[in-house]
Amino acid sequence: MSRVNPKFATELSKYGSSDFNACFNCGNCTATCSLSTADSSFPREMIRYTTLGLEDDIKASLKPWECYYCGECSSECPRQAEPGELMMSLRRYLTAQYDWTGLSGLLYKSLPLSITAFILTFVGVIVFAFSVGFELEKMIHFGHLFEGIAIGTIGLVILMPNIARMWYFTILKPKTKVPFMKYLKSMGELFIHMFTQKRALGCDDNQFRWFEHFILVIGYLSLLFTTVALNWFGTSSLFVIVLGYVMSAIVFVVTIDFVSSRIKKDKAVSKHSQPSDIFFVVWLFFMGFTAFLVRLFIDLDLLEMNKWLYIFHLTVLVQWALIIVPFGKWTHFLYRSFAMYFAKLKEK
Amino acid sequence: MKQRIGVYICHCGGNISDYVDVEELGKMFHQEENVVVSKDVMFACADSNQKDMVADIQANKLDAIVVCSCSPKLHLHTFKNVAARAGLNPSNYVQVNIREQCSWPHSDRPREATVKAAGLIRAGINRVSYSESLENIELTVKKSALVIGAGVSGMKAAIDLARSGNEVFLIEKDFFVGGRIAQKQTLFPTNQNGKEVVTFLYNEMKKFPNITIFTGATVEKVSGSLGNFSVDIKVKPRYIKPSADKRSVERAMGECPVTIHDDFNLGLVERKAIYKNYPEALPDVPVVDAEALKDAHDFTSKFASTLNLNEEAQTLSLIAGSVLVTTGYDHYQPKEGEYGYKTISNVVTLPELNRLMEMNPEKLVYKGKQIKSLAFIYCVGSRQTKGDNKYCSRQCCTSTIHTSLQLKEKYKDIQTYHLYRDIRTYGKQELMYAESSKQGDLYFKYEEKEMPVVSVDGKSTIVKVKDYLTAKKEMEIEADLVVLVTGMVAREDATTISELFKIPIGRDKFFNEIHPKLKPVETVIKGVYIGGTCQGPKNVSESVQSSLAGASKITALLKSGTVSVDPIIASVDANKCTWCGKCSDVCDFTAIKEVLFGEKHVAGVNKAVCTGCGICAPVCPENVIEIAQYTDNEIESMIDGFMMDFDIKEKGTGEVVEVEEEGKVGMKEYPLVWREILAGMTAEKNTIPEIVANTKLAGELVTFHLMTMNRYGVVVPAGMDAKETYYYYKRK
Repeated sequence: MSRVNPKFATELSKYGSSDFNACFNCGNCTATCSLSTADSSFPREMIRYTTLGLEDDIKASLKPWECYYCGECSSECPRQAEPGELMMSLRRYLTAQYDWTGLSGLLYKSLPLSITAFILTFVGVIVFAFSVGFELEKMIHFGHLFEGIAIGTIGLVILMPNIARMWYFTILKPKTKVPFMKYLKSMGELFIHMFTQKRALGCDDNQFRWFEHFILVIGYLSLLFTTVALNWFGTSSLFVIVLGYVMSAIVFVVTIDFVSSRIKKDKAVSKHSQPSDIFFVVWLFFMGFTAFLVRLFIDLDLLEMNKWLYIFHLTVLVQWALIIVPFGKWTHFLYRSFAMYFAKLKEK
Repeated sequence: MKQRIGVYICHCGGNISDYVDVEELGKMFHQEENVVVSKDVMFACADSNQKDMVADIQANKLDAIVVCSCSPKLHLHTFKNVAARAGLNPSNYVQVNIREQCSWPHSDRPREATVKAAGLIRAGINRVSYSESLENIELTVKKSALVIGAGVSGMKAAIDLARSGNEVFLIEKDFFVGGRIAQKQTLFPTNQNGKEVVTFLYNEMKKFPNITIFTGATVEKVSGSLGNFSVDIKVKPRYIKPSADKRSVERAMGECPVTIHDDFNLGLVERKAIYKNYPEALPDVPVVDAEALKDAHDFTSKFASTLNLNEEAQTLSLIAGSVLVTTGYDHYQPKEGEYGYKTISNVVTLPELNRLMEMNPEKLVYKGKQIKSLAFIYCVGSRQTKGDNKYCSRQCCTSTIHTSLQLKEKYKDIQTYHLYRDIRTYGKQELMYAESSKQGDLYFKYEEKEMPVVSVDGKSTIVKVKDYLTAKKEMEIEADLVVLVTGMVAREDATTISELFKIPIGRDKFFNEIHPKLKPVETVIKGVYIGGTCQGPKNVSESVQSSLAGASKITALLKSGTVSVDPIIASVDANKCTWCGKCSDVCDFTAIKEVLFGEKHVAGVNKAVCTGCGICAPVCPENVIEIAQYTDNEIESMIDGFMMDFDIKEKGTGEVVEVEEEGKVGMKEYPLVWREILAGMTAEKNTIPEIVANTKLAGELVTFHLMTMNRYGVVVPAGMDAKETYYYYKRK
């Protein structure tokens, strides 16, 4: 027995979607979706849960993560209820639910709060730079140190507990019985999806979108590896230097396309971009681009100018690591792959 | 007897001739006595053939024609017109259906199809030879119309009828005009106030001196027929002296100490015993409930100059050429306990909610509690697959959704839940449905087999529903008010009206039209039309459409002062009639009455009323009633014709094929019923009840066929049984 809660619709609209009430349950969205299957059909079901406010059912569902937003459902919807955007908003909502700190929800729902957070982190960076007398060497050294510590801390304190919560909501609370061996056997699923996003290939719209995204993920992860593990800014190994250039170039070139489509709003997927989506791609662009320039200036020995550039880079990096990764859109990288893993576990 | 008959047998381009040997039949009937022309034609209905037929009729001086083709439903009038164009009386024409009755059903047995066609054609020729030339009956009519029911349909029809120059009597059972729409504050789709529409229509009617409105009036007695209905109406008293001035009446209303059930507000409040339905109700004269005031002596003596509690009801006689019935509908009244109605305090019906909304302009309050959420349960009293009301009430989906939009507009912070079976907001009304869901109204689909359940949980009311839109999940909805969307049912007094005017009533208890598409406002009673919701569920615009259609029909009917009706009616041979009254008893239309014929009492048929149904003819013990075109001569000669022997050659071979003998009747093969009856005659001799028991055939059918079998010598009577109740029959 589920209690109907019409107030949930108002809550969800704070995460973006607001047209889902127009739905009259025809099911065209589900019929047209190339990822929806008989065993796991969406998005109509999720729209229904949302309009009726069945929060427990939504939290227990992995379906929002199974959608890769080609936008076909939204363009086919006879009532313009924007089911694709609803799925997107549910992902934001779920991200907020999984987050034990509750900060994700606050940042998603309030743009002023997000901007304040960005400003505070910027002030922090300036204060830090001031404290080390704006010395590039020291700043780069600290920046490198910060990256390592941030990855460890955020992963351990925020992301791991959040994944555990996701597991609790979707597997444990709905009382799904999963034998221990299945956890091990299905592990492959997690990594395949994490590194290939192969499910997105099932979307009808285009293979190019997947390819672009795939390249970006590989580029991003490699850049992360190059800077953190191989100390790109401090290294003198030619291979590492070139690798860093290539990877950072990939990141900012690909994100140009992503940013421009978010601005043009020419595809269904980018039509309803929220600030969190914009921050994500823009900051990714800045990261790649400033990293590229910082290394370039090091190589060109433009130290005075590089000082200011690095402060900019460090600001982007800190904001990325403290805001976007733990509480922003970055988490979809984890949740999507874990959702595929959990879905595999739930399979009978 | 007709002696110059023309027979046309149609190929229907192969539809008939592929199985029935029409060429052979054409040649065969040429040799018949009295048949002058007999030919097979490719398409009898083709223009060229119609011209040839006209030429044939005129050249050969034919006095009757038979066309053997398809169903009379398709082409009876085509060939009647051919006859008329050739100067022949159209009654001297008979159509024989050898397509639907021979070639199509017996395509697997062409020879038998031909035999059957031959029998039917022979029957047709025999019938037409007894046909008489008949003329349509002309009746004088009075240019006045009686409209029963002054709701929106009746008032609109009255205005149209009056504008076309008819005298109109509009009678209303209630003391105020307007009917149901006065109870709706906003009508979809225009959002007009129902009361304003009523006022507008009333003022419009007042502009026509030829409209007379009677309120508080009911029909008591109806006689007469098309053109001259004589209707007695009873006008109930208002108990207010005509001499009383308006101010004293208003004072009496204000000071009245007694309150009574407020019918207009569906009992949600009480009203004074001197009342108007609502302040602007029309006619602008209050009504006194004399019964309620009978003990309030102080009050009544104070207003003795205003009130007249002894006023008597008046009976008036009206003469109307035609009648339009627009008596409307009743709201379905949920049974006690149906979804908690009357047993749970906050369960109301949609009409009650509409009254509540009008009474609460600021906040929606019911029984002292502010209403923030409402659950509508649709289809209450409609679409009951097992109950009485199997139909869909048609307007309630839209009405509810419209109400839901009004709720949001009026009271802002309000949530509605809609528990429906199917949403039927057809036509433009669909837009309202879209608007409703966009404003956040929640829809749940339930099935009749798993109805929602209303229950009380502590202080809150819970509606439980198995939602088919959420994979049949059980949902709990908390609602401050549960609204039962009740459908339309026929008025309680519909049976009275039906009995008075003889309007047939359907299984749904609404009045029946003749044909839903082709005669949508006509009833089988000539001159009586139906409009609005007395015919079945309709919304306001559909009601007005149908009543205006009825008004146009009436105007057209009465326009010339005379009407021409079909001559196929009963006639009584007054010389032989002995007036036993049996025919009058069985007549559904009161068309037969006792009349004087010279010194003698005989049955007289009212030509304007008789529908030619034929029920009177077989009950006449003297056999002196005939139905035009279906006279005994015609019917018996048809049977004779059908039973005659034929030598039918197998098509193409020219050989006469011997048909197996079975019995000694003319027709080579018995009708199936005869075979069954013969099989049922198990003993040497049997009575009719025995045969009925053996065959499982209906008693009347066995009686009828046994008589015919006797006539054709298949069976013969063989004395009576011991109690001398039944005859025995045996095979000959």
